[in-house]
Amino acid sequence: MWGRALLAGLAGLILLYLILPMLVVVPLSFSGQSYLSFPPQSWSLKWYGTMADNPLWLEATINSLLIGIPTALISVAFGTLAALGIVRGNIPRAGLISAAMVAPMMMPHVILAIGLYPVMLELGLLRTHVAAIIGHSVIGIPLVFITVSAAVTGYNGALELAAMTMGANPWQTFWKVTFPMIRVGMLIGGILAFATSFDELMLSLFLTGAATRTLPRLIWEQLADYLTPTIAAVATLVFVFTLVLLAIVSLLQIRRGRAMAGQHG
Amino acid sequence: MLKGANTGTPATMRKVSWSVARLYRWMLLAPALFLAAFFVFPIIRVVLRSFSDPAWGLQNYERIMAGGPYLQVLLATIQTAATVTALCLLLAYPVAYVMSRLSGSLLQIAAACVIIPLWTSAVIRSYAWMVVFQRKGILNEALIGAGVLDDAIRFLPGSFAVHVGMVHIMLPFMILPLLANMRAIDRSLLRAAEIMGANPLVAFAKVYFPLSMPGVSAGVALVFMMSLGFFITPALLGGPQHLMAAVLIEQQANVILDWGLASSLATVLLVVTGAMYVVYMRLTGNATGNLKGAL
Repeated sequence: MWGRALLAGLAGLILLYLILPMLVVVPLSFSGQSYLSFPPQSWSLKWYGTMADNPLWLEATINSLLIGIPTALISVAFGTLAALGIVRGNIPRAGLISAAMVAPMMMPHVILAIGLYPVMLELGLLRTHVAAIIGHSVIGIPLVFITVSAAVTGYNGALELAAMTMGANPWQTFWKVTFPMIRVGMLIGGILAFATSFDELMLSLFLTGAATRTLPRLIWEQLADYLTPTIAAVATLVFVFTLVLLAIVSLLQIRRGRAMAGQHG
Repeated sequence: MLKGANTGTPATMRKVSWSVARLYRWMLLAPALFLAAFFVFPIIRVVLRSFSDPAWGLQNYERIMAGGPYLQVLLATIQTAATVTALCLLLAYPVAYVMSRLSGSLLQIAAACVIIPLWTSAVIRSYAWMVVFQRKGILNEALIGAGVLDDAIRFLPGSFAVHVGMVHIMLPFMILPLLANMRAIDRSLLRAAEIMGANPLVAFAKVYFPLSMPGVSAGVALVFMMSLGFFITPALLGGPQHLMAAVLIEQQANVILDWGLASSLATVLLVVTGAMYVVYMRLTGNATGNLKGAL
């Protein structure tokens, strides 16, 4: 009995450790002091004001969106094509090819970054949004591939075959049969790809420039110089934004879970 | 119009099935070309450059193997990844065990504590640890306040802070495979062992722990592999005292502009990570299944 209580207490402490950083950053962003004392002695919104006064933050946020949204679209297109091709194409050694598709996500980003730098330089794309979009899509495609593969594996391929034997052309079959079954997986994968791009630092360090730098890169640069609560204000807003994305994904997953259960029941 | 509508015989089905499969295979072409151009080709260039910059030969690798600071950083990277993996397993196992028995809102709260950090930017999390560990930070103030310390300890930059920050980032990646595995363990086996006279500890060691091994090995391989490439945490919290491979590579390429050495260090990192990836795939059997929970 004592053992069990002890174990539960230990697990609780470890879970607390997991959320501790946000328990520090969020209150700090409302601090009234100009140094990082914790807990703050007084409260204010002045750090949000400082952030709003500095146009760099808005600029970097716009850059992150200009890179993240196209990254999500490219990742959804290519990730979905790859998932359909591998799962429905009866590819020999599908396991090996899937492993290769997921590899970009697993590899240290620094290797990809120093590899893409000269390629983008030669293509004349270095320090443009396009360079970062391409780099982030390489990491985003595996995420969509994983979520869409799960969706495609989740229903019987005979459905599409039936549509085609009954005379539907491949285009009609995709929109009437395949797409309704995988669209939630595509959406979840797309949000994941966007969130990954929105948070990515290493490729942005190598591929973006002063005019195209992303939000994580700006936070990174500011961290080196000023450790003020302004960054806590930015961090809190980014945190709230990712929580909204996470909530959307969770709702989608719950709905998909119910839909799947409904099919079987 | 509806050609073949009346000919849905098994033979037609097979024929359609074959040509449909061929159609699907063509879909692979576009993503394959994209990844060949922007993933495989750049990496091949990194490997080639490690043998050719500034001149063809093994001189970059000789510089690493000469036993200087470069080799030291590579070894420290592997050692740090191993320590982080061990710490993650130690912390994740009890958490996953407790979570595997929870249900309802308690399980949802615990799951939120595991998933939310996954979605929180690594830069932001490292910033939070800087606030905790700085000279007048929370930890020093608390330790002095409690009378444990007389004077503030210098945590930053340092190995302790790097480990705390890295374990924090990798812990969910250990908890999730363990949890998936533990939820599938049949607990009546434990009861059976206890009925047969095993005390709870023996039953755990002889029955439960061996059954949880697939989750343990998947988590260990995943965490070790991902820890090898860490950049943000060691760069912000470790400084020059605790260099890791990715930080060194970034410095060599971006600051010192020694692309030959950077490429050879990256190639070594690629080989070690790639080997771990193969091990991970062997252990889990598939690339997509085990990560679904983490996404």
